Amino acid sequence: MAELKTLNHHYKDMWVFPDADDLAGLPAKATSIGINKLLLWLTLILTAIGVVGFVMRASADGLNDYEPWGYYMAAFSFVFMVTAPAPLVSVAFRLIRSHWRRPLTRIAEIFALVGIVNFVLYIPLMLMIPEIANPNGAGHHSLDIRRTLWIQVPWGAPHFWETMAMLSLPVMSCLILLLSATPDMSASIQFVSGIKKKFYMLVAGYWKGSKRQWLVMQAAIGALGGLYFLTLPFVQFLISTDFGMSLIAGWKDSIFPAIYTLMGFQTSLAAILIVLYIFRRWGGFENFIGASQFWSASKILLGLSLLWIYHMFAFFITFWYGRMEVEQNILNYLYVDSWFWIFIINALGSWLIPFLILVWNPVRRADWGAPLAAVFVLIGALMFNIRIFVGAFNAGREQIYDISITFVPDAVGPDIWDLCMVIGIIGLACLVYLIGLRIFPVMNIWEIKEGAMYQKMGRLFRGNYLVLAKPE
Amino acid sequence: MAIKSVLGLFQDANQAADAGDAVKETGLTENDIDFLTDCPYPEGAFGEREEHIKLFLFPFIGGILGFFGGIMVTSMTQMAYPLITGGKPILSLPPMAVVMYEGTMLGAILFTVLGVLFESRLPHKMTEAYDERVSQGLIGVLVRAEEGKEQEINDVLSKAGAVDTKIA
Repeated sequence: MAELKTLNHHYKDMWVFPDADDLAGLPAKATSIGINKLLLWLTLILTAIGVVGFVMRASADGLNDYEPWGYYMAAFSFVFMVTAPAPLVSVAFRLIRSHWRRPLTRIAEIFALVGIVNFVLYIPLMLMIPEIANPNGAGHHSLDIRRTLWIQVPWGAPHFWETMAMLSLPVMSCLILLLSATPDMSASIQFVSGIKKKFYMLVAGYWKGSKRQWLVMQAAIGALGGLYFLTLPFVQFLISTDFGMSLIAGWKDSIFPAIYTLMGFQTSLAAILIVLYIFRRWGGFENFIGASQFWSASKILLGLSLLWIYHMFAFFITFWYGRMEVEQNILNYLYVDSWFWIFIINALGSWLIPFLILVWNPVRRADWGAPLAAVFVLIGALMFNIRIFVGAFNAGREQIYDISITFVPDAVGPDIWDLCMVIGIIGLACLVYLIGLRIFPVMNIWEIKEGAMYQKMGRLFRGNYLVLAKPE
Repeated sequence: MAIKSVLGLFQDANQAADAGDAVKETGLTENDIDFLTDCPYPEGAFGEREEHIKLFLFPFIGGILGFFGGIMVTSMTQMAYPLITGGKPILSLPPMAVVMYEGTMLGAILFTVLGVLFESRLPHKMTEAYDERVSQGLIGVLVRAEEGKEQEINDVLSKAGAVDTKIA
C-alpha cells in the first residue's frame, strides 16, 4: 500500500504526539523554564510605578470618595475579568473530557495566583462603596435607599458578603491549582532545589499515585470547579452591579452583568491562548502543543466574539427603543456621546477585528490566528472597563440616590497617577503570573501522559486520522 | 501482627496487572493491593478493586447548612430592623436570595475543603514502601501483608517481572 505523503487536509503539526523520551524529559523541562529576568524586572518596575500612583492618589484624594478612583477600578476590573475565569477554562474543558485541553490546563490554572492580587486590589474599593442609605433622606427626585443589589440591606451587606465572595474565588482556584499540580510536583522533586524543593516536598510529599489518590484528586477538582463555576458569575454580578450600574442612577439592565460574565470568558481564553502561543513558539514546547489547541479554541473565541455583539446590541436596542430620559442619558453617556471613541475601540477589539480574523478557516487552523485575535480582545476589554467603570465612577456622586440620572456627564481622561495605576496593576498581574510560572510545573504532566495513552494517528483506507479513546 | 508493605516496580502495565493476579493467588485479597502510577489509568485497567469515595457528600452538606445560615441571617436582620423598601414585604425572597445563594456557596466550599483533607487522609506521613521511579513512569504494585509473608510476596513480584522491589 502506498504510504501517505500528507496528513490529509490538516497541517502536519495539527496534532502532536510526544514520544517516550519527550514524556520522560517533561518534568525537568516543565520546572526549569527560563523566564527572562528582564521581563521580571520590567513587570516589577511597572508594579512600583503603580504603587507610586496609588500612594499619590490616596494622599491627594483619600479613600472615602470613589470618584477619583475610576481608572483604578477599571484596571482592577480588567485584571479581574481576564484572570478570574481562567481556572474555570481548565476545569470546564476537563469536565467535558476534551483531549486538546491537556497542554493548556496548567497555563490556565496558574492564573489562580493572580486571584490573590485581585482580592488585595479589591480591598480599597470596598472601602469606597458609598452608603446605601441616603444621608439626606428621601426627597422630590431622590430615594431613601439607593438602588443596589442589596435591597433591604441584610446583615453584612455589602461589605461582608462581597468580601467573602471575592475571597472565595482565589481560595478555590488556588486549591484547584495545588491539587492539579501535586502529582507533577511529586514527579519533579528531583529536578528542583532550594526553597522550591522544600515547597514541592511540603505539597506533594504525601503523593504516591494510588488509585484512591487519583480519584480523590480528580473528584476534588471536579467539585471545586463546579462550585467555582457557580460562584464566579455571582461575583461578576456583584462587581458589575455594585461598582457599575448602581453608581449611575436609574441604570436598570439585566443584560449588562451577562455581558460582563461573557467578556470574562472571552478575555480569559484570549489570555490563555497568548501564553500558549508564547510557550509553543519560544518556550520549546512545540512537541506538546500542536496547532489543534488553537484551532479548537479559536472556534470558541469566535463564538464568544459574536455573542458579545449580540448582547451589546440587545442592551443598546432596549434602551434606544425605551426612549425614556434616563435611558437616553445612559446611551449618550456610555455609547454615542461622552465615551463614543472608547466604545468604538471596545467594539473593534471585542467583536469586529476578532470576527474578521477568525471567520477564515485557514487562519483558525493556523497557530497564530487565535492569539492574534486574542490581542485585540484584550485591548477591547480594557476599553470596555474604562468606558463602564470610569464612566460609572464619574457620573456624579450627587446623583446616586436619585431616581434617575438627568444629565449626560462628560468623559474623564486619566491623569498621570491614573496612568501609573493602570500600568502598575496590569504589571503586578503579569509579575505574579510570571512568578507562578517559575514556581509550578508549567505543563500538566500527568494529563499529557494520560492523553498520550488515549490518542494516536490511525489509518483508515488511504488516510491517516486522529483516533481518540474514551475510557470513561 | 505488624503489617509490612512490599513494592514491586514494573515497566509494563500488563506485567503489573499479572503481578496483581499472582499476588492474589498467595491468599491475599484485592484490598491488600494498590497500583501506583504516574497518571490516572482507566477504571479496571489492572483488575484492581473499586474505590468508593464520598467527597461529593461534603459540598452537599455544607451547601444545605450555608443555605439555612443565609435564611437565618437575612430573616433575622429583616425582623430585627423592619424596613419597608419599595412597598415590598419585610421578608421578600428576591433580596434574601442573594445572601442565601452566597451562604450556600460558602458552606459548600468550606465543606469541600474539609472533604478533600478527610478523603486524602491529610496530614499524612508516608510509611509504606515507595519509590520515586513511580512518578517517572514505572508502575508500582504495592502489597500489604502480615509480617513474615513479605519475602514470599517479594519473590512473587520478582518472578512476575518486577525490575526492582522494596520492603518497608
